[in-house]
Amino acid sequence: MAVLVLAGTRKGLFLLHGDDARTRWELEGPLLTGWSIYHAILDRRDGAVYAAANNWVYGATVQRSDDLGRTWSRSEQLGLPEESGLKLEAAWHVEPGHESEPETLWLGGDPGVLFRSDDGGSAWEPVAGILEHPTRDRWHPGAGGLCCHSIQLDPGDANRLYVAISAAGAFRSDDRGETWTPVNSGVAADFLPEQDGPPEVGQCVHKLLLHPERPERLWQQNHCGVYRSDDRGDSWERLDGNGLPSGFGFGLALHPRRPDTAFVTPEEGAENRVTSDGRLGVYRTDDGGASWSLAAQGLPEPAWAAVLREGMASDDLDPAGIYLGTQGGSIFVSPTEGAGWIEAAANLPPVLSVEVARTA
Amino acid sequence: MVTVLLPSLLAHESGGRNRFELEAATVGEALRALPIRNLIFDEHDDLRRLVNVYVEGVDMRDRGGLEGRLAAGETIRIVAAVAGG
Repeated sequence: MAVLVLAGTRKGLFLLHGDDARTRWELEGPLLTGWSIYHAILDRRDGAVYAAANNWVYGATVQRSDDLGRTWSRSEQLGLPEESGLKLEAAWHVEPGHESEPETLWLGGDPGVLFRSDDGGSAWEPVAGILEHPTRDRWHPGAGGLCCHSIQLDPGDANRLYVAISAAGAFRSDDRGETWTPVNSGVAADFLPEQDGPPEVGQCVHKLLLHPERPERLWQQNHCGVYRSDDRGDSWERLDGNGLPSGFGFGLALHPRRPDTAFVTPEEGAENRVTSDGRLGVYRTDDGGASWSLAAQGLPEPAWAAVLREGMASDDLDPAGIYLGTQGGSIFVSPTEGAGWIEAAANLPPVLSVEVARTA
Repeated sequence: MVTVLLPSLLAHESGGRNRFELEAATVGEALRALPIRNLIFDEHDDLRRLVNVYVEGVDMRDRGGLEGRLAAGETIRIVAAVAGG
């Protein structure tokens, strides 16, 4: 087996090929030159690679490769209906569908939209339950636009999925995407005018992940803290009071088997978006977020780096590998669950996303 | 017959072809016949804002826009606006 890292950058897609030790890496790319790759992922169901690709002149598309990046085909149909009054501004995140739906994919985009494809990514239909959500007039774009960046499927229940939109909040569907319930109870939105408690929607989720071994557990790195939910998003507990230098950040990764272990990369704050304390610091919790400790051996210091919302990932090996891409163009890998880091690639264009997959 | 010339990214997305010879009466008809139509027009069939089109070296806006008539043998060139970083 081998490990493949897909690094989406502002100037194309790069692939890093490593063995199971994950200490030596070969760089391939750039692929899809001319495109900004907001996110790329290998679909473990059939080995296809999908890339959410954007060009400032030619717009947003999804590219698919069936030969690990040698050749690509572009989605044929992707856009918003004229009656919506909206146009697709960017393609943000591709998520392969449930195992029971092998041709289905999901795509998140700006302005706060979700698409579904049932033909392997050629034609995409906007999901009406998100496009016409009754709270949409209370959603507000952030610095990255009104981006639907997180799509998480419940591996045990094909009816249930989650999306997160900045700044609209997190939403859950229990009927395969037909209807969507805001799940933001207890999540702060300090940037909104003072009101009696957190609002129903409008939270700025930076990244949302579901733990595959315990799918009722969700984690989110939010504009206003790190949170965990153990009841499918119905309630959230804020976690950044013990050991994290800041609750603000973007990157989030989960241990593939241990639901209490998570990794974040805090930043100074919303008005100074650089890594905290002048170092590229990954922080790890092993107790569900009750406490955090620095896991940065091998990461640069001093450093004022930035890790974007798609910039962290984990693999499913033992020990688990944790991956980190920076806007400075580096890919860092920890083959030891955060105990030590190596720089697998440097001087790439700004890294927008990191995903990892196993290949034969 | 008219000729349409594509910039490199659009040529790549057209399977490597940077030149198309088409039968088209108007600029819009020629552009909509291209295999990269959905890259130069958005989902509401509006030409994307940063796509510039020249007919015989003249900005199509000065020749009637997408409805501008074409004469046999004319050449259309698609140029990405100077933008980005």
